[in-house]
Amino acid sequence: MRKIYVTAALLSLIGLADALYLTVEHLTGATVQCTILSGCSEVLSSRWAVVAGFPLAGIGAAAYFTVFSLATLAAFGYRAAGTLLTPLLSAMFIVSLWLIYLQAFVIRQFCQYCLFSAAITSALLLLVVIGRFVLKPASV
Amino acid sequence: MKRILPFIIILAVLGLALGSAWYLTRSVPSTPTAVGQPAPQSPETQASPVQQAPINPGIPGAEPAHSHGAANAVVHLEEFGDFECPPCGLFHPVLKQMEEEFGGQVRVTFREFPLVAVHQHAMAAASAAEAAGLQGKFWEMHDLLYDRQNNWKTQFDVRPVFEGYAKEIGLDVERYKRDVNSDLVAQRIFNDGRRGHSLGVKGTPTVFMNGREVPFELLLPAEKLRATIQNEIQAAKR
Repeated sequence: MRKIYVTAALLSLIGLADALYLTVEHLTGATVQCTILSGCSEVLSSRWAVVAGFPLAGIGAAAYFTVFSLATLAAFGYRAAGTLLTPLLSAMFIVSLWLIYLQAFVIRQFCQYCLFSAAITSALLLLVVIGRFVLKPASV
Repeated sequence: MKRILPFIIILAVLGLALGSAWYLTRSVPSTPTAVGQPAPQSPETQASPVQQAPINPGIPGAEPAHSHGAANAVVHLEEFGDFECPPCGLFHPVLKQMEEEFGGQVRVTFREFPLVAVHQHAMAAASAAEAAGLQGKFWEMHDLLYDRQNNWKTQFDVRPVFEGYAKEIGLDVERYKRDVNSDLVAQRIFNDGRRGHSLGVKGTPTVFMNGREVPFELLLPAEKLRATIQNEIQAAKR
């Protein structure tokens, strides 16, 4: 079980780096410009890229950092932290599904960094669900 | 020690993340002057990012170009734009505001740079503007296309929409329908695009101020562009 949490912490670091990159790009305006090759500009300049004045990518970075913190604590034996991971990752997964829907059917452009983030969230949820419900916590 | 180790790791990652974000944000050129503040007092040591950029004359675009403002204006802004591009739509009112604020000190030229790979109606919109230009109403169509970008960009067929705009601005619609598919219109768009590529334009909006590219982050919001233009006017006075 500890290995699962360590893996989850490492995976969440990758997600954090991805979300941080998107946040910086958003704040500096680098990807908001329309470019010849990328669909990221379309996605990041859309009205869904900002929630209550905050860049959605920044909220994602905060979520990944929370996942990292909880997974790290769980790896060191803080059981409550492990319990909180499942609902948090479930919420992130649902938001990711919604964002993929927006990219596919509303904006009709895909941002590879956003898709990568959705893949990381899915992998994290899968990992934690396997850890909690398939592998018995008693076997830690 | 083992009890506090996870907290040390978490704090270390937080510090690293915030530090990286701060460093990356800082590496982008900053606004040359804040709104309402005087221009730099030591010009030799405080050239803005725009003034430091190299001048590349590029190859000529469509002639005559679509331009607004006095020919001898101190600041010449040449915009490469795509009517379907959302940031161009955001930039449009800002540029108009600057033209009003700076009056005869600013001249604006618009160049077609439709990003056909990512915008399905970009070429149709550029053609509509150029066809309107053949009847002397380029800017009227240009303004309508940007002002109503959200109305037409999700349409399946934009031709009837643009024909409606042509009628609205008083064009001879039959002539417009012929012109919009003409070689002359296609050639103008091609020439502007070729000029853009020769200047290294890769996205829209891309703006050159007196021949130097203005970093995108200095175009929006209006305060940043105002400060950039003020800096250029101050530099011209020295």
